[in-house]
Amino acid sequence: MSDNRKKVQHLFLRAGFGETISGGRKKANNSLQSLVDGLFLDAEKYRELDIIDAPHTDSKGKVSPLQLPSIILKSRAEMERYNVAWMDRMAEKEGQLRERMTFFWHNHFATSTTFAYLMQVQNNTLRYYALGSFRKMLHAIAKDPAMIIYLNNQQNKKKQPNENFAREVMELFTLGRGNYTENDIKEAARAFTGWQVDMTGFYKFNEKQHDFDSKTVFGKTGNFDGGDIIDMLLEKRQTARYICGKLFREFVSEFPDKEIIDQMTKVFYESDYDIGKLMRFVFSSSWFYEERFIGCKIASPVDLLVRFRRLNSMYFTEQKAQIEAQKVLGQVLLFPPNVAGWKGGRNWIDSSSLLIRLSIPKVMLDGTGLDLRAKPQFEEEGKAEAKKVKMKVDWARLIDQLKGIPDDEIEEELRAALIQAPDDRIDKGVLRSQIDRTSRDKRIVSTAVALMSTPEFQLI
Amino acid sequence: MKRRKFLQQSVLASAGTLLIPEFLKALANPLKAGNSKGRVLVVIQLSGGNDGLNTFVPFGDDAYYSNRSKLGLKGEELLKVTDHFAFHAQLKTLSDLFHDGSLAVYNSVGYPNPDRSHFRSLDIWHSASNANEFWQNGWIGRYLDANCGGNCKPHSAIEIDDTLSLALKGETINGIACRDPKTFRITALNPLVADIATNYTPHDDDHHNVEYLRKTLSEASQSAAYIYQQSKIYKTTQVYPQHAFGKHMKVVSELICSGSETQIYYVSFPGFDTHVGQRGQQNRLFGVYNEALKALYNDLKAAGRWNDTLVMTFSEFGRRVKENAGDGTDHGTANVLWLAGGGLKQKGVLNGPPDLKNLDDGDLIHQLDFRRIYATVLSNWLDADADKILGHAFEKLTFV
Repeated sequence: MSDNRKKVQHLFLRAGFGETISGGRKKANNSLQSLVDGLFLDAEKYRELDIIDAPHTDSKGKVSPLQLPSIILKSRAEMERYNVAWMDRMAEKEGQLRERMTFFWHNHFATSTTFAYLMQVQNNTLRYYALGSFRKMLHAIAKDPAMIIYLNNQQNKKKQPNENFAREVMELFTLGRGNYTENDIKEAARAFTGWQVDMTGFYKFNEKQHDFDSKTVFGKTGNFDGGDIIDMLLEKRQTARYICGKLFREFVSEFPDKEIIDQMTKVFYESDYDIGKLMRFVFSSSWFYEERFIGCKIASPVDLLVRFRRLNSMYFTEQKAQIEAQKVLGQVLLFPPNVAGWKGGRNWIDSSSLLIRLSIPKVMLDGTGLDLRAKPQFEEEGKAEAKKVKMKVDWARLIDQLKGIPDDEIEEELRAALIQAPDDRIDKGVLRSQIDRTSRDKRIVSTAVALMSTPEFQLI
Repeated sequence: MKRRKFLQQSVLASAGTLLIPEFLKALANPLKAGNSKGRVLVVIQLSGGNDGLNTFVPFGDDAYYSNRSKLGLKGEELLKVTDHFAFHAQLKTLSDLFHDGSLAVYNSVGYPNPDRSHFRSLDIWHSASNANEFWQNGWIGRYLDANCGGNCKPHSAIEIDDTLSLALKGETINGIACRDPKTFRITALNPLVADIATNYTPHDDDHHNVEYLRKTLSEASQSAAYIYQQSKIYKTTQVYPQHAFGKHMKVVSELICSGSETQIYYVSFPGFDTHVGQRGQQNRLFGVYNEALKALYNDLKAAGRWNDTLVMTFSEFGRRVKENAGDGTDHGTANVLWLAGGGLKQKGVLNGPPDLKNLDDGDLIHQLDFRRIYATVLSNWLDADADKILGHAFEKLTFV
């Protein structure tokens, strides 16, 4: 395989959700820089993902409190609809980079509320700023209704400050643990008092609940409001360093490289937090394509499911099955485990989840469905006999992608397209014993299934 | 990194493992998996937030009835065990164990700054972190990390489920999720997967994820085979309820009775989020719990394993003291927790009754941190370094 093809596929797996088999082959000889330019050009388009209607308002533009129970009741189904629509979007050819970045920010500003519409608003805010200014994004998130509800800023009042948002904005969104004092949190919380959500689901500054007295944060004293605190956080280089560390972990490797993170920090901080500029720097650097980083990352469940869709048009027969699959693999979009998000990396893997991952290709081939039960919702009782998670695959599409490849090069071609990690431990004999040579089509499908059942396929 | 420096660091890092011959390692770690004096822990999680006040009922407290004018249990709905407390009538097995001296009950177990979200509170119980910390591994997983000198196997801790809870995830080793030994074995027998697993030979570079995944797969496959073999040794004659929880408890019982080297079993029983129509729901669920526990007790007693088994039942939170308008109760805080087993050193009600008058915004104030119970179980029952596993020295209790 040409070395360059691996690099091209690496770029598309990290900056997007992976190339198709034929796409990887066609681009194998393109210059990396031209491909990076192409990705950024494509990402300039901003397409909202807007499928949930805003709650109905009365003549005064208000949502009646009486509507709340019904909004909450239908919210779960709406969240699942949004989840699936987002997965569909990730599997599209266009907008890969912007969706990949949105996915990163969704994990960074991990939020979950019972209001699907507000989750949609937040998701679009993240999508809008995904490659723009982190400064603007952070200011917007501090006024984001879903975030305000999730981190209890609605209850953050002058007489009784709630520190939840102030704590997480420092610990998880900007500085990281150990770079602030408990007193900084206490005082910063006062600056965010009165930042609330109104009954129609919009940000509202509630003057009566805001503490206008002076506060002392990071050794500075003044009548700060929330916006000032955010600017003070961005003033600190540590914020750039912390974000770059997280970006490195997600886009490059889960084992930090201080020298590279230093370089990234410099670009990010000196550009006043220009995310696009930083990511362009990452994807254009020669270190990004070093062998140690190629195929070193454990695909997240969402990575894996979207990759299956892009490679062989796998699809789920029902919306519910798509959610169930995410659940059994341990990552459900819009439902992060807590405000710290999904840890990722080796944390995705345990004996059971690995066995499930490796059995998916065979299940796709047999068409039998995964015989697994996700943990039930809290309001549900465990069911002894749950429905199987059924997936279907359009194998014709996979076969079509190998058009023009001679029979005796099928294995090599699929290996090149599917395996990014060092593949010397994939035993040729074992692999070949799984290949059905009774027809060309069967040969292609059985080879692909065998390769996708290796641990190496889990690495992107 | 310069090679010289790298070598120095790796020598230091691996001094404890590489330079000591195998037999010395074995001596240094007498508490290998399955050898903690043969003791077993079974954790039962009642998911959804079980209403503790209608489980272990403080019928002697008038405040109970004034807060529970519709849901308050009385007369035949109670199985009195002291002049203050009674079990819910469906929990006959617990009442029998109580009289038998095989049950210890703690009231108002919780943690500071309680969280009323199911997800978050369960996270806290699983990781054993403080309410404002987010840990990515669990107390049982860290037990595996700390305890077998690197020799713990995934099946040292089994969750009877298809997916693994945070509680069983460690830093370097995880427990294993297995709902049904036979199905699980079949998954692992997928020819491709099986082949990779059997032909696994360790590589030095375990920094690379290829090695990590191949190693994990090999262990998973061995554990699947082991669990399957064990599950065939002992077949219970007891009747377990025809319910997911009943089936899961049957798996636990058969593995314990067969002498599996597993030390910890984890079973979840969901459905306790009783916002509406609590009475019927709790009756039904407790009926299932009761029958399953009875069958387990009979099995273990007959197999001579009751004295070295400890069964702990908890829920992520209790419920509001005051009932709601929908014949149910809403999310609360501290809750009752009970431990059953033949090896208890202290039995009965081990702390004061829940204080139904001094409440925090309508909820019970915890009088015992759940991590003191974990610390006791880890240290006194499983002979592990509880302080290290929990990251803090919680004062131990003396029930085991």
